[in-house]
Amino acid sequence: MHASLLPAAILDYISLSFVIFAIGVAGVLLRRNPLIMLMSIELMWNAANLLFLAFARAWLNNAGHIFAFLVITVAAAEAAIGLAIVVVVFRSRANVDVDEVALLKG
Amino acid sequence: MSAYGVSHHMGIDGNYPVLFVIWLLPLAGAILNWAFGPQLQRMSAWLGSAVLAVSFIATLAAWGIGTQSSDGALGAHQALFSWFPGFNFGLLLDPLALIWVLIITGVGFLIHLYSIGYMWSDSAIARFFAYMNFFVFAMLTLVLSDNFVGLLVGWGLVGLASYFLIGFWFFKPTAVAAARKAFVINVVGDVGIMFAIFIIFARIGSISFADVFANPHALDPWLFWTCVFLFIGAAAKSAQLPLHTWLPDAMEGPTPVSALIHAATMVTAGVYLVARCAPLWSASHDAQTLVGTVGCLTALAGALLGTAQWDIKRILAYSTMSQIGYMIMGVGVTAYSAGVAHFFTHAFFKACLFLGSGIIIHELSDEQDIRLMGGMRQRAPVAFWAMLSAVLAISGCPPFAGYFSKDRVIYGALEHGYVWMWVVGLITAGITAYYMFRLFFVTFLGTYRGDLDPASVGVDREEHAAHQEPHHAHAPAWLMAVPVGVLGVFSLIGGWIMVTPSSPWAHFFAQSFPRETLPPPAISEAVTTALAIVMLLAGAAVAYARYATAPALADAPERLRRETQTLPAILVHLYYFNELIDVLFVRPARAAGAFFSQWVDPHFVDGAVREVVITNRFLGTLVRSFQTGLLRAYALIVVFGAACFAVYYALAGGAR
Amino acid sequence: MIEFAILAFVLIVSAIFVITASKPIYSVVGLLAHFAALAVMYFSLAAEFLAVIQVIVYSGAILMLFLFVIALLSSGVSPFAEGPNRLPKIAVPALAFVLILLGFCVYAAARAPVAANAGAVSASIAGPVGAANVFGSVGDFGRALFTVYLLPFEITAFILMVAVIGVILLAGDATPYVPTRRRARLVEREMREAVLRAGEE
Repeated sequence: MHASLLPAAILDYISLSFVIFAIGVAGVLLRRNPLIMLMSIELMWNAANLLFLAFARAWLNNAGHIFAFLVITVAAAEAAIGLAIVVVVFRSRANVDVDEVALLKG
Repeated sequence: MSAYGVSHHMGIDGNYPVLFVIWLLPLAGAILNWAFGPQLQRMSAWLGSAVLAVSFIATLAAWGIGTQSSDGALGAHQALFSWFPGFNFGLLLDPLALIWVLIITGVGFLIHLYSIGYMWSDSAIARFFAYMNFFVFAMLTLVLSDNFVGLLVGWGLVGLASYFLIGFWFFKPTAVAAARKAFVINVVGDVGIMFAIFIIFARIGSISFADVFANPHALDPWLFWTCVFLFIGAAAKSAQLPLHTWLPDAMEGPTPVSALIHAATMVTAGVYLVARCAPLWSASHDAQTLVGTVGCLTALAGALLGTAQWDIKRILAYSTMSQIGYMIMGVGVTAYSAGVAHFFTHAFFKACLFLGSGIIIHELSDEQDIRLMGGMRQRAPVAFWAMLSAVLAISGCPPFAGYFSKDRVIYGALEHGYVWMWVVGLITAGITAYYMFRLFFVTFLGTYRGDLDPASVGVDREEHAAHQEPHHAHAPAWLMAVPVGVLGVFSLIGGWIMVTPSSPWAHFFAQSFPRETLPPPAISEAVTTALAIVMLLAGAAVAYARYATAPALADAPERLRRETQTLPAILVHLYYFNELIDVLFVRPARAAGAFFSQWVDPHFVDGAVREVVITNRFLGTLVRSFQTGLLRAYALIVVFGAACFAVYYALAGGAR
Repeated sequence: MIEFAILAFVLIVSAIFVITASKPIYSVVGLLAHFAALAVMYFSLAAEFLAVIQVIVYSGAILMLFLFVIALLSSGVSPFAEGPNRLPKIAVPALAFVLILLGFCVYAAARAPVAANAGAVSASIAGPVGAANVFGSVGDFGRALFTVYLLPFEITAFILMVAVIGVILLAGDATPYVPTRRRARLVEREMREAVLRAGEE
């Protein structure tokens, strides 16, 4: 009934979201450039956002919009902090390979 | 009033500042002497004596509140604080406590005064007076407490003070060993009292004397065992068989210490405990028999040992043990008033004897062996006259103090149905007279033997050297003479207050102790007295014949040497008690210690420790492997965790 | 349906480009394309306000931040030079396993019966996209944000403030704080010394 408002089936949205999320996870794990890792994390945030909005539309509940908004805010904060950390690491080491930043090795 | 004729109110409640003065001034003196000893030097001696004087005067001032009586409550009770229900602490000054406080502060003051002279040249005089004041404080804590736990605290502190003072000359190995021995045996007694308190608290739920004594039979069926445990404490503190071995060794302390602690006050704490717990003893006939028996045997054993000693202080130590045996016998058979009376008179004449012997020891530059004395009448006349009075008192010669109290104890045993104790008590009285006159004659009569070769009078040279006190320079003579003189006078007149059944003494304790009306024994008190005097005369006559006749005096060195060689081995070896304790306790304890140190410790304790180390190292390695320091590895773990949550929710959602 | 397919294709391709690009600057470009496509998809889901926010915040602010940092770091000497790869070999199969697991969950969730709509805010459904009082419109979103969801909104403000303070602490001036008057004295002394030196020369 309401689902007809969606341009596509809800399963398509879920699948798309999952694929983007998986790409983001793979980016975080496989890349060693912290900037690209941060961008991959942005991809994961957005995959979640997409799902929020798709379900909001499917169920006609704008709580999903509010949470997407919240996610964007948090993502912005996270990006700012993450980039600040990258800058600090670069200042102290002149290199930003995350595999080299391993002082906490047990 | 309870069924035993004792008020269970025990003291009229109120605020009595004078109790705090009596109780805490010695503590203040101890702290001052401890803290400022190096600055005070000899002033600390005067300070220490002054606080005792004030405390004694305060005790006299408290006479009124200590003897007041209203509506069955007797004496003064000052509440201090409450710990938790059943643990109410307070001070109690009733006639029984008052007598003890009087002796502690009064005789204590005289001994402090004497100590000024005795310790004049000791470099640690401030420490000595700090310990002495601390001891008085501890003893006052013991007798002023209104509950068993406070009493135990005082009991333990007294043992500690005794340890300090016996080991005062800590550079003497014998003194240190004696101090340790006294402390260990005293702790055995402390543990006994502790067990008694456990029983009391479990059965009655309160530690205060008043609650416990209100109904002693609430302790049934543990009443007898409570008494036994209490008496273990009393026996350890009062040197009763078989826990007496520490007392003779304790003579390693300075002579005033022997007088104050190991004669006049501390060792009578056991008498105080039994007298204080009179309602318990009155309620348990078995306990009476036990305590009376132990006291009676101790009296006899101590007296016999006294006949075979040569060290003047050791003779007095065994005499103390014997006399306390009398006291314990008295309070044990519920002749409380008599036992306490003997404590009262004993404090005077025994302190006098010790202080007098201290004068002689000083005069002879720390010679303690009576075989090397002789002729001291001319050299120490004050000691001669004072000790004569005290010897007559301890032997029970009328009208000296000991006559009144000792007869009452012996007669009390008969009165309560213990005929054999009466017999033993009389025999002991004869032996007492013998060894005291022996001491007196050998020390004071004849000619001075200190110039002779010690071997010629039978002295073992090495043993002799080990027991000498450090040398002292002399102080003003009156400092030592006055207290001895005063105590000598009291040895004469101290018993006069208990002459008749309606005497002030009987009146004083009229309300304190449970009383029972007894059928008059077959042998009257007059006969007892007569027999006691006969025994006294017999003992004194034997001593006179052996040591004081003209031929004996002329031939003294040879006779002493011969006596030394022919003394019965069992007496010389003190009934082999030390050897028995060694076999029964020390060696098994050593063996157990060796077993634990060589086998249990390395295999079990160390093994357990090693096992803990190994386990923790393994766990640490396990956890460490996660801490790669690789950001991406951490991320993988996070993703894995998130996946686990997702799976959980998917499954949970499916189930719903 | 066809527009969804096109958008999905663009999204996936741009995402893959983001994580495979050799330089971060290329990744930024890919991410820009991704965000743009995502904004369009948001429009198709009647979330017009969020579509606009997506463009403004992500493309306008966050990506700019990335660009600035890239510019800053690239001025140094080979900041992105990489050492040996230290990720354990198990990581890739583990990742594959985890993703398969997640995919399974997605499948399971999608197969689950869709719960009935329990809307917190009732909004009219009909009407053209963007019109007032229609689901997803700015007015609709704003009313929800400032009434029912006021607390989460304020929490976002707090989060941003914390982030700002955190960034200042992390990457801000490392020299310790000096009170102004003292700093003024220091500056004054330095100037005086400079003048003296100039005089000597």
